[in-house]
Amino acid sequence: MIEVTNIIKKYVAGEIDFTALKGVNVKIEKGEFTSIMGPSGSGKSTFMNILGCLDKMDSGKYMLNGQDVSNLTGNELAFVRNREIGFVFQAFNLLPRLTVLENVALPMVYAGVPAKERRERAMEALAKVALEDRVKHKPNEISGGQKQRVAIARAIVNRPNVIMADEPTGNLDTKSTFEIMKIFQDLNDEGATVVMVTHEPDVAVYTRRIVRFKDGEITSDEAVKNRIRL
Amino acid sequence: MSFLESLQIAIESIRSNKMRSFLTMLGIIIGISSVIAIVSLGEGGQSAVTDQLNKIGATTVTIGIDSTKAQKSDYFTLKDAEQIKQEVNTIKYVSPTVSERGTAVSSIASKNANISGVTTDYADIENYDISYGRYFNDLEENEGKPVAVIDEDTAKELFGSADAVGKTMDLGPTGAGKKVTIVGIRSSAGSFGGVGPNAAISVDVPISFAQTMYSTNFTISNLTVSADSKEDVEEAGDSAVSILESRHNNRGKDIYTASNLFKQMDQINNILGIFTDFIGAVAGISLVVGGIGVMNIMLVSVTERTREIGIRKAIGATTQNIMVQFLTESVIISLIGGVIGMIIGITSSELVGKFVNVTPVVSPTVVIAAILFSSAVGIFFGIYPAKKAAALDPIEALRYE
Repeated sequence: MIEVTNIIKKYVAGEIDFTALKGVNVKIEKGEFTSIMGPSGSGKSTFMNILGCLDKMDSGKYMLNGQDVSNLTGNELAFVRNREIGFVFQAFNLLPRLTVLENVALPMVYAGVPAKERRERAMEALAKVALEDRVKHKPNEISGGQKQRVAIARAIVNRPNVIMADEPTGNLDTKSTFEIMKIFQDLNDEGATVVMVTHEPDVAVYTRRIVRFKDGEITSDEAVKNRIRL
Repeated sequence: MSFLESLQIAIESIRSNKMRSFLTMLGIIIGISSVIAIVSLGEGGQSAVTDQLNKIGATTVTIGIDSTKAQKSDYFTLKDAEQIKQEVNTIKYVSPTVSERGTAVSSIASKNANISGVTTDYADIENYDISYGRYFNDLEENEGKPVAVIDEDTAKELFGSADAVGKTMDLGPTGAGKKVTIVGIRSSAGSFGGVGPNAAISVDVPISFAQTMYSTNFTISNLTVSADSKEDVEEAGDSAVSILESRHNNRGKDIYTASNLFKQMDQINNILGIFTDFIGAVAGISLVVGGIGVMNIMLVSVTERTREIGIRKAIGATTQNIMVQFLTESVIISLIGGVIGMIIGITSSELVGKFVNVTPVVSPTVVIAAILFSSAVGIFFGIYPAKKAAALDPIEALRYE
């Protein structure tokens, strides 16, 4: 599914070179639910951005679903982000002027899906996160937990191979955190591959595997022993 | 993503920033409306001039002599006129014409006079409307009788009433006038007399009589010719010149020139056209300024919506998608501005036209050009901001606060 080999990512700020990723190797199989953990500055977010094809690496190889995406152009990466990956961000990143339904349908606009089908599929996705009754609302009219559920619906609407979540519960209260994690677990049980960045151990226990980062390197990679199914 | 989709996104974005979008459009509105108003009024003025000239006599050709090249033998004779009339089918009337300045003295007034020595054809050429009496006839012309035709206004000034048939006055070089009898009064319409007490009056007399009044160095330097129709004017003039050149044996010396109102009309229209183009160009500059306004706002919009661009890119928008989105927006703004400007331009040209008595001519060409041009402004000034938006890095854009 996901196989990265020896990924190196450097940032140059003036005279100082900072190596955010120092040769990372990871393999994630289809159907896994993986947490990426580590303190801030450990490189986990950089790693996530590269996995999500939002950022480019300096060297290394990235195979996503059998396709080498290491050296794709900007527009090819946009295509991969659109079809292969569903994103969930900490800050939700919904478009404020669009309704819930329009936000969810947006990835399909860029995928060239006809309007009628977009509506149907967006409704389906919203049903999965139990928000069918909020379709006409604007993002500022719903709660944070609901916003994140909209974002999840948007992430799954194009039927991606992998869902990537960057601190999805970072801005949420406990109750909403439970809701969101339950949705991820449900999706995972239905076969979805989920990769999630988090720094909260309380959240990581809902996943199946934890990969720990420190100083740009993987320090541990282990299965979750006492996994909690919500 | 279809064009319709980008259109929806663009309209949505314009609507969510109504005031700003309107202010941005204002530059385009002012530019387009002033260009349309000026061009419509200019064209209206041109067609008014054309109409006016058509009324006065577009079939008249005046043949003149270049006096710097001409010798005594080159000047016209009465026989020239007859021969032209006989030989050129398209010419109905010919009148040799001399213009002299003098004085007209009646029992109650004394006026400067423009004396035209002409033949009987002249009344037909000028399409005179005789209100009292008659024009002088062939007999009076052949015998050089002291008769004259004046217009109604002149009659009132010289004799106190419009019907002055039978009255007499002294006419001729100042101090050497001869007694002439008024045989006809024509209507004043269509005459370009001056205004005021010192303005010269116009008097028509038989050319043979004019010769007796101005016998020293008397030459006929003009022929006034009337063609059958507007279409024949140019050719009639050329034919007349050709006959004159062979009669006076001076072919190729370019002594005679035929001029008709069409030629003068062209000149007037040319001047009007240059004038219109010039003001139009000045108004066009305001369009460029308006376009820069569009660019300015689009740049602000790109910065303001950096995060939106980042989100769109993160979920799969390509560079082209973003580019098209912003370009569509700037084109729509300019286009709406263009259409509003067009409506205001047409309305204001009608309004101004009422004041200056010109019916504006709104040609479809101008309307289409205005719409095309405003879209072009939108594209031209939208490309840079759109490129800037499209080139944003998704990660950086997402981090933008």
